[in-house]
Amino acid sequence: MAWDFGILKEEEAYRQKVADFLDKELTEEIARQSWEDLGLDVEGRAFAKKLYAAGLMGWSWPVEYGGKGLPPIYDFILIDELGKRWGAHVPNDVAYTMVGHTILRRGSAEMKKEFIPQIIQGEIEFGLGYTEPEAGSDLANMKMTAVEDGDYFVINGQKTFNTESHYSEYHWLAAKTDTKVSAYKGISLFIVDQRAPGITIRPMITMSGERTNEIFYDEVKVPKNRLVGEKNKGFYYMMEALGSERNYVFVPSRYLPYLNMIVDYAKNTTFKGIPLAENPMVRDKIAQIAVEIDMSTLLADHARWMEWNHLPMTCEPEITKVFVSEMEQRMVDSAMQILDQFCQLKEGSKWAPLNGRMEWEFLHSFMTTIGAGTSEVGRTVIAQRGLGLPRG
Amino acid sequence: MDFTYTEEQKMIKDAARGFLEKACPNVEWYLDMDKDEKGFTPELWKGMAELGWMGIMFPEKYGGIGGSFLDLVVLLEEMGYAAVPGPFFSTVLLGGLAVLEAGTDAQKNDLLPKIAEGKCLLTLALTEAASTVYDPFFIETTAKAAGDNYIINGVKLFVPDANVSDVIIAAVRTSGTTGDKDGISLFLVDSKTPGVKTTLLKTTAGDKLCEVIFDAVTVSKDKILGSLNGAGAVITRVLQYAAVGKCAEMLGGSQKVMEITVAYAKERVQFGKAIGVYQAVQHHCANQKMAIEGSTYITYKAAWMLCNGLPATRIVASAKAWGSEAYKKVAAIGHQIFGGTGYIVEHPMPIYSRRAKAAEYAYGNANYHRQLVATELGL
Ligand SMILES: Cc1cc2nc3c(=O)[nH]c(=O)nc-3n(C[C@H](O)[C@H](O)[C@H](O)COP(=O)(O)OP(=O)(O)OC[C@H]3O[C@@H](n4cnc5c(N)ncnc54)[C@H](O)[C@@H]3O)c2cc1C
Repeated sequence: MAWDFGILKEEEAYRQKVADFLDKELTEEIARQSWEDLGLDVEGRAFAKKLYAAGLMGWSWPVEYGGKGLPPIYDFILIDELGKRWGAHVPNDVAYTMVGHTILRRGSAEMKKEFIPQIIQGEIEFGLGYTEPEAGSDLANMKMTAVEDGDYFVINGQKTFNTESHYSEYHWLAAKTDTKVSAYKGISLFIVDQRAPGITIRPMITMSGERTNEIFYDEVKVPKNRLVGEKNKGFYYMMEALGSERNYVFVPSRYLPYLNMIVDYAKNTTFKGIPLAENPMVRDKIAQIAVEIDMSTLLADHARWMEWNHLPMTCEPEITKVFVSEMEQRMVDSAMQILDQFCQLKEGSKWAPLNGRMEWEFLHSFMTTIGAGTSEVGRTVIAQRGLGLPRG
Repeated sequence: MDFTYTEEQKMIKDAARGFLEKACPNVEWYLDMDKDEKGFTPELWKGMAELGWMGIMFPEKYGGIGGSFLDLVVLLEEMGYAAVPGPFFSTVLLGGLAVLEAGTDAQKNDLLPKIAEGKCLLTLALTEAASTVYDPFFIETTAKAAGDNYIINGVKLFVPDANVSDVIIAAVRTSGTTGDKDGISLFLVDSKTPGVKTTLLKTTAGDKLCEVIFDAVTVSKDKILGSLNGAGAVITRVLQYAAVGKCAEMLGGSQKVMEITVAYAKERVQFGKAIGVYQAVQHHCANQKMAIEGSTYITYKAAWMLCNGLPATRIVASAKAWGSEAYKKVAAIGHQIFGGTGYIVEHPMPIYSRRAKAAEYAYGNANYHRQLVATELGL
């Protein structure tokens, strides 16, 4: 059967179950801890376990680690339902939607047994340790080194922008294990106990008040069994995971709460006695936000569908990433025009519309086209990997 | 035609650049000013007064230095470049120019010298909560005659620096209905008058926009600025100065952003080359440049037309429509090129991008000004 945009009865039943649970249990506070990357703290971490206890986590994961062995669509449904309610991520996002998949693909049997059940149960989270001061878009330019010494690797160097690390149990770390070969062939991945001796974590606060971190490694000893897969294959594993990670991280449903907010605002706010909803400019701007959310939902659905059908993805998740991140900026700009002067009022200010959410989103939106890979590099990927244009 | 600065303007520019570099030392200082209730330091204000900035456009007989609006625009461009916080704009453009335009001799003699010395801060209380779409003439606040006095009642919003102002010029309705341009009057209200209540709003730029409540505020009738019921024209004029002044600030801010962005593109290395080598980055920088070229000439042309008393309605609206979008775009590109580093709160980029947002909405955003252009076109 071709061209079918429906979901199965069982999938819909799961969606309903998740929706019912979240409507009851997901408080604004928890949702915002995740959305604003403030760090999940006690309630957020407890919520991950609650989701598991309610039987809603792990449906797409292998049975032997406590999952149900079903296709990835169940995890996508979970993420979408969270997104619709400001819960931008699964509470232990990096573990559940990124790192866990690489452990499943590349980790040893022992590693899988140790980590996967804890991930499904919402017990552990990871900080993503890729970026360094000299290695942003050019990740292969990283300088951190991991040197073999008996039963350990000894790691030295600095990471920057490692966002979840201040509350995570583990650091998912990329470091150079061979400095003599081309960088792509000399990087390995490690799981490091985030509180290990020799690690210093310093906060970096963003313009929207989120916290990310710089992390310093000084002679940190990591047991050899915490090397992920094979030595010197790390860069390859990172690239292999990228498409799938985009599918889980760039979630169009997340914009629906904003759309709903601005629709309500337009209906309930008048100017000279006439609802804003009747103003042609307002209607046009809101409609365009909706058109783009609809469109991005389909881009995402398509790329996800490729993933769960094991079709080779070249640039499809990248298209979603670039489009969604830029859409977020256009959405804020349009919504702010509708709020007019009031748009600049922050949460907690007298007269702040929509509880200051759009103002916060404005500040936040500057990172969307940078974090997890910039739009410029993304377009190069689409042109070269997707269209076969020559490399410069 | 001549696209150059006068010698005096060059001097103003250099002096401003030098002074403001020292006066606004680093990002931490700006962030302190964002949090500070007043939003500026006494030293900064005193230094600006000593340089004669507050009186730049006032005639010498009022303690000013007799410059033109173009001179003021040159100064504002530098202020935007430095992103200097504080009540200069409200005191001089909203307050001082309103008094200069519409004041009686007595009012001018009283206020202008004090403004020029930096001893009197002013602002204009114009827009109101019911103006969910920006409309400066949508005025419900009333002043009712009572003997030799008027009693003012109403709420004003987005009043810049009202929290530190000595005099708040209140735009009130003395006749007509809410949306009319006619029937509006301006009152010089001492901010310490009983019944005036100022609340600071929390804003994205950390600038000091306020709610001002007038609760049965009594003002004597000699505090009317300009003619009773006839303030519409004065407000229009003041808003034209304000819009072009804001364009000048936005222009300066855009230039600073482009400067630091281009410098960074030359210095930041990724994939073994300065990122400025990559065409994606070059095109971004070129777009900044194009936006700023436009802003420069349209700002100065609008200022020149105002200065020379030429009909400026359309050019002023075009300038603010263009400038609001241009600054926003230049700032967004700046963020894009700085990557993650520009997103950290201690970086200069957020100072500028947050101010770009505030400036976009000050005195009407691009949508508002395009409507004015449309009206000028006879639509
Ligand atoms: C809020 C936030 C959270 C983050 N969280 C994490 C995290 O948890 N873990 C982690 O490891 N990293 C994280 N990052 C880092 C993120 O992945 C990097 O910021 C991103 O990869 C870009 O790198 P950079 O900031 O160094 O920019 P740069 O790579 O220096 O890029 C600067 C500019 O140059 C352009 N450019 C670079 N190379 C090219 C090229 N070849 N062609 C054209 N243009 C080019 C870029 O597009 C950009 O415009 C986070 C970043 C942010 C902002």
